[in-house]
Amino acid sequence: MDIKAYIESGILEAYVLGALSEAERASVEADIVLYPELRQEVEAIEAAMESYAATTPIEPPAHLQEQIWNAIQVQQRANNDGMHDGVPPMQQPVAEATPKVIALEAPAEQAPKMSWQRAAVWAAVAVSVLTNFMLLSQRNKINDEKAAMVARMDSMQAQQTQMLAKVEAYEKGRNMLADTGMKTVVMRSAQPGKDMTGMVFWSKGTGETYLTIHHMPMPEKGKQYQLWVIQDGKPVSMGVISNDMVANAGTMLKVPMQVQSGQAFAISLEKEGGNPTPTQVMIVGAI
Amino acid sequence: MAPSVTYSEPELVLLLKQQSQEAFNYLYKNYAGVLYSVIKKTISDDQTAQDVLQEVFVKIWNNIGQFNADKGRIYTWMINIARNASIDKLRSKGEIMKAKIQSAEDAVYNIQSGFKTEQKIDTIGLKDAVQGLKPEYQAIVDLAYFKGFTLEEVAKTLEIPLGTVKTRMRHAIQLLRKHYSN
Repeated sequence: MDIKAYIESGILEAYVLGALSEAERASVEADIVLYPELRQEVEAIEAAMESYAATTPIEPPAHLQEQIWNAIQVQQRANNDGMHDGVPPMQQPVAEATPKVIALEAPAEQAPKMSWQRAAVWAAVAVSVLTNFMLLSQRNKINDEKAAMVARMDSMQAQQTQMLAKVEAYEKGRNMLADTGMKTVVMRSAQPGKDMTGMVFWSKGTGETYLTIHHMPMPEKGKQYQLWVIQDGKPVSMGVISNDMVANAGTMLKVPMQVQSGQAFAISLEKEGGNPTPTQVMIVGAI
Repeated sequence: MAPSVTYSEPELVLLLKQQSQEAFNYLYKNYAGVLYSVIKKTISDDQTAQDVLQEVFVKIWNNIGQFNADKGRIYTWMINIARNASIDKLRSKGEIMKAKIQSAEDAVYNIQSGFKTEQKIDTIGLKDAVQGLKPEYQAIVDLAYFKGFTLEEVAKTLEIPLGTVKTRMRHAIQLLRKHYSN
């Protein structure tokens, strides 16, 4: 096959863009498997189209992240218990307020007929107006007080929410410490004369890991720290640490990657984006 | 910004296979913007585009076990899931004809305006024009890549011969390759 002519025909571009018929697509796919040059060309086209497609990322609305995670969980649950009907749990029915009907009493008084009673009516009206006025001003005062109280309640509620979050964080920390499966691994400086340290909290049972670092200098431009777990003598990357974390020393980060086994944790200094194996180990601690 | 950790492609695959909420949060934080913009280039309606985004994440999540790194990059894989889901939605909604007519009108309009020395390109809603890519070239790429047109459909829509569509498509992508390689 004339690879050059094949590439120049433009069929690979049409393939990546999805503009081929089903039969043409299948034939190109077979050719790609046979000729590595074609695959290379396809990858280059794909890369260009990805850059083109991703030129300006549009952030979807913030609430979507939670909504999608919920959808994933609902679906997973449905998949897990396939025996049951896959109906997602419904919202709890809102307790309906029983409608209250208050009968309007209409003690419509008959207008007095006799004239001597007029004075009494006027007097009553005057008293009523006065009373209403007094009641109104009192009500205004009560309304003001109520508004102040609502505001106080709001701020108390906000404080309570904050405290609850704090308590939860403490509780989590306490559970972590109490968890006998949770190991604390202190990483110490591998560079003489520097007091860099880091700690990894690792739960062997769940594979969860948390990381804090202290006294780590900000990496120079183009460099980043990378976290490693040493498994059977081989370093396995757990990800590149962003410089925000270096700037906020002492913050605890839950590492997204779970770890099932290991003999040591380490942090090394690498080029931005990380390396497949560590080059300059900064701190290390055996498990 | 919260402290964070970043992952390379193979690490990302491992992370997703763990199926934890942290893995999801990482995926969402780093890829929702790109995937959403890909979807938006096919589907203009916000609500529909958001539905598709949810579908795309669920698909990525459920099919990560079938992802084969030998066949290509995970980034390519995810973008293709987004494109396919968007184009499917476009078709299922019976909107494809409407979209095609609309795109065709836009494309023709843009080609015409392109001839008039105008550098302002807004082919089928694409605000981010690629420098040096002529409108008639960009139209071909966009109709195929984002709207799911076949070569024949592009040829018919733009009223140009099939052979020309192919050569222009190749030329356009060569320009893109050059543009993004530096």
